[in-house]
Amino acid sequence: MSAASFLRALLEARLAPTGRAWLDAAVGELAAGVAPVRGSALFSQASRHARRVPLAPTAQQCAEAGRILEGWNPERWNVLEAMRVTLLLARRDLAADSGVQALTELFRYADEGELCALLRSLALLPAPERFVWRAGEGCRSNMRSVFEAAALDTPYPARHFDDLAWRQCAIKCLFVGAPLWRLWALDTRLSDELARMALDLAEERRSAGRPVPPELWLCLGTYGGARGLAALERELASANPNALGRRAAVLALARAAQRERFAALECANEPALRDVLSRVRAGETSAPTFRHLEPA
Amino acid sequence: MRFFDPHIHVTSRTTDDLERMAAAGVRAIIEPAFWVGQPRTTAGAFVDYFASLLGWERFRSAQFGIAHYCAIGLNSKEANNEPLAREVLELLPHFVLKEGVVAVGEIGFDEITAAEERAYVAQVELARDNDMVVMVHSPHRDKKRGIARSLDIARELGLPMAKLVIDHNNEETVKGTLDAGAWAAFTIYPHTKMGSERMVEIVKQFGPERVIVDSSADWGVSDPLAVPRTAKLMLERGLSAAVVASVTWQNALDAYGQSGQIDVEGLLAKPTIDQRQLFADNSVLRGQDPRVEAPVPN
Ligand SMILES: [Zn+2]
Repeated sequence: MSAASFLRALLEARLAPTGRAWLDAAVGELAAGVAPVRGSALFSQASRHARRVPLAPTAQQCAEAGRILEGWNPERWNVLEAMRVTLLLARRDLAADSGVQALTELFRYADEGELCALLRSLALLPAPERFVWRAGEGCRSNMRSVFEAAALDTPYPARHFDDLAWRQCAIKCLFVGAPLWRLWALDTRLSDELARMALDLAEERRSAGRPVPPELWLCLGTYGGARGLAALERELASANPNALGRRAAVLALARAAQRERFAALECANEPALRDVLSRVRAGETSAPTFRHLEPA
Repeated sequence: MRFFDPHIHVTSRTTDDLERMAAAGVRAIIEPAFWVGQPRTTAGAFVDYFASLLGWERFRSAQFGIAHYCAIGLNSKEANNEPLAREVLELLPHFVLKEGVVAVGEIGFDEITAAEERAYVAQVELARDNDMVVMVHSPHRDKKRGIARSLDIARELGLPMAKLVIDHNNEETVKGTLDAGAWAAFTIYPHTKMGSERMVEIVKQFGPERVIVDSSADWGVSDPLAVPRTAKLMLERGLSAAVVASVTWQNALDAYGQSGQIDVEGLLAKPTIDQRQLFADNSVLRGQDPRVEAPVPN
């Protein structure tokens, strides 16, 4: 199944009959080719036919999306975004210069909702590496919705960002409070440099008397070294009121393959840490495990 | 009370103003595109300006619990730079159909030149073809004739009068505007145009129907609290709460709600603030703790 037909099927049950009719007509028009200003109008007018309500795909549908494109997860898309991406994918010239020009035009005039849809579409386009500057611009935004559309639940950063852009993207998640575990394939691109940046940030926060984002510890992997272990021990201290931070530190110790330290924690069997201990024991140590750690 | 200020240029106002507006009960605003105090020289400057009305300014207001809508258009002053005006008119279809754009505006006449008329005609046609509301700025000089011309052209082009808001009315122009079937908006400026006292008398004389009060606060001497202040004076001078609510909330909602771009239910719900949201490379927070989910005091 193509991404376009997958999205169209998802929209079937989520649009009013008039919305479906408008979408099908617009898809037909775009497939036949339209002037740029008309393409822009259709993209804007989608907001008259679909609302910004959660798309709410089922777990099976999310899995299906992941089969269409590994790393794509429409779990947090909204209906309007799904409609707009369906419109984009209707174009027949996406691989050609005219398709790039049409996208450039849409980016130039995009409002916030349109920008999110455009960024979410990038990984689904042919030769997505053509749009790496656009994706980087999206990650430079501090508006959370725009940043997350570029960075999270998409294979784009892991597949196409250079090392610098990738590390900025990961650390930026911590700055804007975006869920880092949703940065697809984080664990495949951990590095000494990313761990250093994360540890610097942790120290900066502690010096300022501000809390350390719990997901920061996901950036260490096996690259934290002695400095990382010391920082994790400090996070783990029972006096630390940040319960989620403590659980994340346990996960990070496991990810750093600190088997003896982990065994000692198992022996202590502290109630607040039981859940994360049992997950690690079951082999759940990838970054997305963080999702299941109970919030503080 | 809650207020709708359907004409304010908050891009020129500080966060102190936004805080005071929210505290005074201003819950929704419309920011029409206008000139910026001096003429722009490139179409790109308009692109960025329109984008800021749809983006950063909407976000900034939301951080103070104020719903921000906008009107997009080429203003009358800059319509006189015809080569640039042609470029901007070509750009408008990219912006007027976007979410939260409640009108084409503010457009109309300044010196009542032929170039201004050409830009006005093109934009009324654009609004008509897209079933949109039009917000008309009326001129400071020769106001009566400017308003008459704005009404006549809109009527000739087939724009329903219910979709036409004429702004900056005064005692001399209100009758003509209302008789034409358009909405009559009044800008309360501290020193010029129309003060709160005069506004009270106008509502007493003409009633609240299709009458709208706004601040048009901008980068000049102006008052972002003009709407709540005028409402207070109206109540003190014996106008009923229902009448005051019409001219400071409901009429604006009815006029611009015709765009289908205002989430009325959302507006009626108690607004809350979430200052954690960031936009572009700025946040209005500079290190202070965000006020999250704090109810707005209105
Ligand atoms: Zn104005």
